Amino acid sequence: MNQAVRTDILTVRGVSKIFGADRGSVAALSDVNFSVRRQQFVTIVGPSGCGKSTLMQILGGLASASCGEVLLNGEKIAAPRPDHIAAVFQEPWLLPWKSAQENVEFPLSLKGVAVAERRARAAAQLELVGLAHAATRLPHELSGGMRQRVAIARALVQEPDLLLMDEPFAALDEQTRTKMGNELLRIWEHSRRTIVFITHGLTEAIYLADVILVMAARPGRIVERIEVPLPRPRSIDMIGSEVFGQLRNRIWQLIGDSP
Amino acid sequence: MRAATMIKKIGVWIVVLAVWEGAYRTGVLSPMLFSAPSLVLKAAWTDGPAFVAALETTAFEIVVAIVLAWSVGVAFGTAAGAIPILARISTPLLAAMIAVPFIIVYPVLTAWFGIGPESKIVFGTLLGVFPIALNTMIGVQAIEPGYVIMARSMGASKLQAMSQVMVPLALPSVITGLRLGTSLIVIGVILTEMLASTSGLGFLITYHRAMFDTGHVVLGILLGLSTSYVANALLSWIEQRYGRWRSLQQDMA
Repeated sequence: MNQAVRTDILTVRGVSKIFGADRGSVAALSDVNFSVRRQQFVTIVGPSGCGKSTLMQILGGLASASCGEVLLNGEKIAAPRPDHIAAVFQEPWLLPWKSAQENVEFPLSLKGVAVAERRARAAAQLELVGLAHAATRLPHELSGGMRQRVAIARALVQEPDLLLMDEPFAALDEQTRTKMGNELLRIWEHSRRTIVFITHGLTEAIYLADVILVMAARPGRIVERIEVPLPRPRSIDMIGSEVFGQLRNRIWQLIGDSP
Repeated sequence: MRAATMIKKIGVWIVVLAVWEGAYRTGVLSPMLFSAPSLVLKAAWTDGPAFVAALETTAFEIVVAIVLAWSVGVAFGTAAGAIPILARISTPLLAAMIAVPFIIVYPVLTAWFGIGPESKIVFGTLLGVFPIALNTMIGVQAIEPGYVIMARSMGASKLQAMSQVMVPLALPSVITGLRLGTSLIVIGVILTEMLASTSGLGFLITYHRAMFDTGHVVLGILLGLSTSYVANALLSWIEQRYGRWRSLQQDMA
């Protein structure tokens, strides 16, 4: 790897988030620190209620931290940065009156990109997620997995340095989820974006990641950073391997141990 | 098939008009109370230009009031739906404004704006704007926040989020408000023309009613109905054009 690839793209320093007034206040996040290198695939795994989604909102500039800071390429994030960060949520939130193609074009039309250019760029991303044939369909004519792929294409079309994904496959059935994981890895290897992927699924967290950040709840914090030693490209049979099993046990204990 | 229904419809109308005319000719219906098709035609023949001019005045007042009430109502309703503090202040206010019988302040409006088209436009707008704002607000409040967060993450400005995400998502409720508001505007404009004015359909209807020219009165009524028919057609078109995905969605479910 060359030097450029090794640089940190995202730095999170001492981020805490406290909800509510003094007395009934709840620390959703407490002193979260980590950094993500360019082109890395980082998963954040933790039990429900550990502040994963709050962290994602702060990373995306959609919510502010009570203290601490988030730096993207050394610049502080205080508001959404559509030129650098794109997000995929648990629900695809496709605009129901727009076709798949028009939904992918939407972020570009918000920026005022010319019609011809945004058509071409959106078509290219739909092609990448394998939905070129469904470009003219409306969201309700697509399956859940296809809708989420449109949402991924809509994020990629923004050509972000950082792609944030907040449990994007949680609403899908097991089989579709596994397929989408492989699909995402293929897309990631093709586009070489940096991805921060939040999940509560241990298998998913290990299977996708270069680095896993394990979170615990009350207060939400990162308890461990694990480098995944599995080679790439990943394949389904690795899930049955000994290394994979050990990793899963370790994460399970980390999550289980936290009070 | 379509031509056949058309012929049937026209047939029904011919029969209704023939019975009406027959009742008048045989003296069953008094022309003083019920007029007759031939009297309406005679009124159109003798005073056609006056009625066209009146229709123009009324249509102008209605169109201006619609433009004002729709734009202010939808804009304010969207803002109130998106900003919780504004919603808390305006919800009881809007509900109260809808309950106000504005007709009691019309004399004041004529003092301020005269008895020309201006006072009709103001009154029509006043009557129409509040139900539009209230229904838009309710529709926007019902939008799932994920859509708005999605738009924000893409860098949508407040105005873009409102016009390109919130209003289209709230469309069924917005349309309900527009239907309500628009019918109130038509009522408001024609009613105030009847009260104090020198032009418009409402003025002609009351004027000829006082003269017992029932043919003229019915002609005025028909033209008045035509304005609300046109407004309604416009709304149905908007609903079709921008709300088609909703009915498709329901077909799938």
